[in-house]
Amino acid sequence: MNDEVDALLGALLFSCCEHVLETMFFAPVLDIADWAASAGCARVASRLHFQGRPSGDFEVDTDPGVARALAAGFLGIDESEVTSAQEDEVMGEFCNMTCGSALSSLGQVEYFNLGVAEITRPQGFAPRVEGVRRAFLLEGGTLSVCLRVDFDRS
Amino acid sequence: MALQILIVDDSPAMRSFIRRVVRLSGIEVDRYFEAANGAEALEQLAANPIDAVLTDINMPVMDGEEFVRRMRDNGPTQSTPVIVISTDATIHRIHTMQELGAMGYLQKPFGPEQLRNELDRVLGVHHE
Repeated sequence: MNDEVDALLGALLFSCCEHVLETMFFAPVLDIADWAASAGCARVASRLHFQGRPSGDFEVDTDPGVARALAAGFLGIDESEVTSAQEDEVMGEFCNMTCGSALSSLGQVEYFNLGVAEITRPQGFAPRVEGVRRAFLLEGGTLSVCLRVDFDRS
Repeated sequence: MALQILIVDDSPAMRSFIRRVVRLSGIEVDRYFEAANGAEALEQLAANPIDAVLTDINMPVMDGEEFVRRMRDNGPTQSTPVIVISTDATIHRIHTMQELGAMGYLQKPFGPEQLRNELDRVLGVHHE
């Protein structure tokens, strides 16, 4: 991918992620963040692979406290009531929604099928998807998203 | 008129979210029914008088495409309004679901206003 495509994909990813956070999770974006700062830290990560024209991968990682707050916002319950299973389920939904929203907004996407999101909780996070990454500062920590679209393999 | 709504999604969290958005939209609901896949949804439809169905597409056991296809092949549920709620808003997917008989399509993310507008549209409700 060239720089121009990366910039367009990044802007689209930023806009879709912000919209999902605010509309479905009631989590306003406070600022942009440095995605590299989360490397080696404890994170909740969610990844999925999508197949179609084109195929690719999507990854989300966030502070554990933010994952809990997002689950509470999505479910409309207090953070103290959120279980780990609910947190995982909501992180999977976030991954699914943000990826689907970005792909649907890309003009060059003919069709896609999202795989099931895999949730992990690494103590020392290392990104596993190499693509266009954007990070956000939310109340309580950061969240970053990464999209790789394999245009050439379609 | 208070509605009886069937929510079909394999994620309990998403079903809970949809219920909340319906409540926030101001739509009067008499009772919610829920199903985790198309097969469960067909059972709910056979056993209960449902006014409108809100369904996901990607689900285990029976997905949304097969579910809508079977609804439309079944006399009593042929005309029950179906709104698809999905992250996938590609033209290909929307066309497929419309061809199968879905009357409405809502892309995630969505809020109370979009849901209300789509429900009003498929139910033929007009506001002054």
